[in-house]
Amino acid sequence: MELIFAASACDPEEQIICTPETVNELFELPFIGGINRTMILNIVAALLVVWFFWAAFRKRSLIPGKLQAFGEMALGFVRDEIAVGIIGPKHGLKYFPYLASLFFFILVGNLMEVFPLTLFPITSRIGLPIFLALITWVLFVVAGIRAQGFGGYFGHLLWPPGVPVALKPLVGLIEFVSVLLVRPFSLAVRLFANLAAGHVMLALMLLSSWVFLASLPTGNLNGMWGFLWAGLALFIYVFEILVAILQAYIFTLLSAVYIQTSVEVEAH
Amino acid sequence: MDALIMAVDEVGAGLTGDISGSLALIGYGLAAIGPGVGIGIVAGNAVQAMARQPEAAGMVRTTMFLGIAFTEALALIGFVLYFIAAG
Repeated sequence: MELIFAASACDPEEQIICTPETVNELFELPFIGGINRTMILNIVAALLVVWFFWAAFRKRSLIPGKLQAFGEMALGFVRDEIAVGIIGPKHGLKYFPYLASLFFFILVGNLMEVFPLTLFPITSRIGLPIFLALITWVLFVVAGIRAQGFGGYFGHLLWPPGVPVALKPLVGLIEFVSVLLVRPFSLAVRLFANLAAGHVMLALMLLSSWVFLASLPTGNLNGMWGFLWAGLALFIYVFEILVAILQAYIFTLLSAVYIQTSVEVEAH
Repeated sequence: MDALIMAVDEVGAGLTGDISGSLALIGYGLAAIGPGVGIGIVAGNAVQAMARQPEAAGMVRTTMFLGIAFTEALALIGFVLYFIAAG
């Protein structure tokens, strides 16, 4: 049970503000330190996605049932809006499987933040976002090398065409750092920080409302503030559902944009 | 339950007490100013573009999310640095 209910880890009788001993837990890496809650939920999220699409497309029919129609709609959104919409019809379908798995895995992982039995987003531990960002990084660098050749891709980066010669070293350096270092870093940190912040905010609101409301039966009128916290928590809860979906979308969208800048040779 | 009452009262008393805490929090507050303004500009201009040309709303929305994502990164890096500095 301790795996599931985060609040059970702190003892409200002695320690009211439930601070963790260290924040190192946020930066834990998967598989280091054995199987823990994050690892188990990672596997559950992956299995959930596989199970959903297996169930949706097990018996494919021309007239789709409810589940199949929903699966088709979700996949169609990723294909039309992200894969083909951003990368373009020529290369888009080639990267569609990766983008679709990325989107649905992150979506399920993010929605665990608001799912009552878990209340913990697996993407709020840096290990998972940084790994996903590294996959995207490898993918767009390899795509660029395949589309323009090794010298062509890095040549375009370090010696950008269409820039005055005197500025080329400077722009090349900035471009090199921003494409190869800042891109994967900001991609990972964006997902991680959004979900970690939302998780902290939800935990604060829900725990505060619980602490205040629990003191009401003893006749302490200050406990009435708990209703305010509960209302705020509900508001944040709805907001976090939006954030979870939006961040999955943005991660996939940016992956597609990065791949697109690599495969589009004509853009330069 | 006595501990609970004490703690709830302490929260009230803490509002008038001394200020203490980590300087990293102030750093995060400063880091959030620029992206806050930036996201406002991005979203405001996107609304304006959508109102002027509703048929381009889909494209504008995608671009708006991209712009927000790039702008927001700075605030989020500040948020992460707070944890690193405070931890």
